[in-house]
Amino acid sequence: MRVNPNFSQDILSDLYTAQNHEDVTLQELSTGQLINMPSDNPAGAAEMVQNQNQQSETDQFLQNTSSVEGLLQTADSTLSSVVEAVNQAISLGTQGANGTNSVPNMQAIAEQVEGIRNQVLQAANTSYQGNYIFAGTATNAAPFTLDASAPDGVDYNGNSDVNTVQIAEGNSVQINVPGNQIFQGAGGDVFGALQQLITALQSGNTSAVGTATTQLGTSLNYLSQQRVFYGNVVDQLNSNQDYLQQEQVNLQTEANTVDGVNMAQAATDLSQAQTTQSAALAALAKVIPQNLLQYLQ
Amino acid sequence: MGSLSSSLWIATGALDVDQGAIDVTTNNIANQNTPGYSREVVDLSEGSPVEVGQLTYGTGVNLDQVQSVRDQVLTLQIAEQTTQQSGAQTQLNSLQQVQALFSSSSQGIGADLSSFFNSISQLSTNPTDLSQRSAVITDAQNLATDFNQAATTLTQNQASLNQSVSSTVDQINSLTQQIAQINAQVGQLQQLGKDPGALEDQENQLINQLSQLTNVSETQTQEGLTLTTGNGTALVVGNQSYALQVQTGTDGMQDVFANGQDITSTIQGGTLGGTIQVRDQDIPGLMNQLNTLASQFADAINSAQEQGYDLNGNPGQALFSYNAAGAASSLALTTTNPDAIAASSDGTAGSNGNIANLMAVETNPLPSGESPTDSYASIVAQSGNLASEAQATVTATTTSLNQLNDQLGSISGVSINEETANLLNYQNAFAAAARVVSTVDSLTTDVLNMGAGVTAVA
Repeated sequence: MRVNPNFSQDILSDLYTAQNHEDVTLQELSTGQLINMPSDNPAGAAEMVQNQNQQSETDQFLQNTSSVEGLLQTADSTLSSVVEAVNQAISLGTQGANGTNSVPNMQAIAEQVEGIRNQVLQAANTSYQGNYIFAGTATNAAPFTLDASAPDGVDYNGNSDVNTVQIAEGNSVQINVPGNQIFQGAGGDVFGALQQLITALQSGNTSAVGTATTQLGTSLNYLSQQRVFYGNVVDQLNSNQDYLQQEQVNLQTEANTVDGVNMAQAATDLSQAQTTQSAALAALAKVIPQNLLQYLQ
Repeated sequence: MGSLSSSLWIATGALDVDQGAIDVTTNNIANQNTPGYSREVVDLSEGSPVEVGQLTYGTGVNLDQVQSVRDQVLTLQIAEQTTQQSGAQTQLNSLQQVQALFSSSSQGIGADLSSFFNSISQLSTNPTDLSQRSAVITDAQNLATDFNQAATTLTQNQASLNQSVSSTVDQINSLTQQIAQINAQVGQLQQLGKDPGALEDQENQLINQLSQLTNVSETQTQEGLTLTTGNGTALVVGNQSYALQVQTGTDGMQDVFANGQDITSTIQGGTLGGTIQVRDQDIPGLMNQLNTLASQFADAINSAQEQGYDLNGNPGQALFSYNAAGAASSLALTTTNPDAIAASSDGTAGSNGNIANLMAVETNPLPSGESPTDSYASIVAQSGNLASEAQATVTATTTSLNQLNDQLGSISGVSINEETANLLNYQNAFAAAARVVSTVDSLTTDVLNMGAGVTAVA
């Protein structure tokens, strides 16, 4: 049977194939990626686009979490100082209601309670990074101002809106409670009760002082309930943080499965490709001089 | 009865034939690496015998003709595969440039989309923060720029393919002209009853080159060889060639015309077919997807903007603008003012209520049915699919082309072993015939001497 006498084309094409295989494995080894061009694995390349998007989204959720944590902790500690101040006002009210105080004493107590009211007012006007945190969403102006003519002694200039921040896919948390709900809520009006206590102390009416003190206690309970909101959200953020970190690991693993090079495999492939190539070269070197002419010389 | 002179005659004839056979062998050896060369064999036959009385004597050997050994079917198959291979290779070359646009998952439109939405998400934690608002604007600007660049690169690739159409058509025309000329010479030789082997080798070589440029079908008719394009437009009929023309169409693209007819869309395979495929199908397909994504994404963000209020309490305005004729290349920001991001849902600066609407664009499907990131992922997959399909065709046709060439080589290739063996045979035959001549010479001398002896006796 006659065979193709010109074998160099065949050997060259084998050499190209081996060379190409070597190049591919070398690139995989040097980049650590299986997909260096979309054509290496079109579906995988698309998956990587989505995976990168999810990874960067997850990073952002983590960043959102840490960004709002500062705000929430400021609100929580502010409210904690308010609770302390109101407790002090309650003990002053109890003192004023025991009927053993002289008029000047009552006045002095009234002044102390007024001081506490101003302290609470200052706390209610706390700002974080330039934003008033108890103003609803009207965060660019102090939400509470003193107003002697108002029944509560203060005016609320904020609104009743809340902001939410997304902390995971399909999971958003509310990050603020409007000031009027915390300090002037239907279940307990801290400013109203303080104003009532001040007025009662100033007028020296011990029974009114007692009533006002009781009311202040009710408002304090209510305020503490509102404060729990901030603690809850911080807890939620902390557990969400764990979830997001786990998610990051999962996404990274997924990316590695699609795009990651198995180094041991790639190194083996490379040495195999090298062996194939040198075998082809050796064969070529041996075969070229073989023909009838050589034997006739 | 034989005679000395007839022996001499047979021997000198054999010397001629062996010399001719050695010539052919030498020519084969000389051309063993000539592309397109088909080995030649000598056609030897026995001389017609003469009858002398009861006996029949041979009259030696004749060299009837020198013939090229070829296989027309294989040659046709090779031309066909060559067309496919070179078409796919052309596609692969441009598609590799195109897919490089979409090769990185950490840069480009996909990453820009992520950054844009991440900045908006970050803004939700502090909607009055100007630096955060600026970051949103910067990311939106980057996204628009990357859309513009992707569209420009696609257009540039398309334009350079377009330029190569007319140069490819020029090459085709020059080849068909040469083939027609050779056709004419082949016809003349055939009329004279001569073997046009060398010319046919050249012609096959030219047809092979033509097959790399476009698909041609080949038929032998009475006028000689006829070459047509895939859809039957004549390129060469006998000694006449028909040139293809190029005209610029309304879309600015070069269209290919034959006899006044636009045959652009019917051209398949070869450099020309591959170029036209990428220029008219693959790139416009990707461009459409990119335009759809750009316009639908811009619309979605704009309408989300309009549902909210900017930092100053004014109703939100469109953030992106684009020209419907080419959304990706014309996508731009309407403003660089960071106040313009409509984060607020109630008109107060501190509200982030509308950010949920802006963020919804990231996850909700666009009118195309996919979210922006998924749409972009589809474009990436599409660019990869196109290139990998072309790659697969190149690999497959290269393998089959190697096989076909092997087969053709086993029929038409020059084997040094075979030629050496032939050379030995002819050399021996030549030497033997030469020995016959000298033997006849000495016999003739003997005969002459014999006559001299008789005369002396008489």
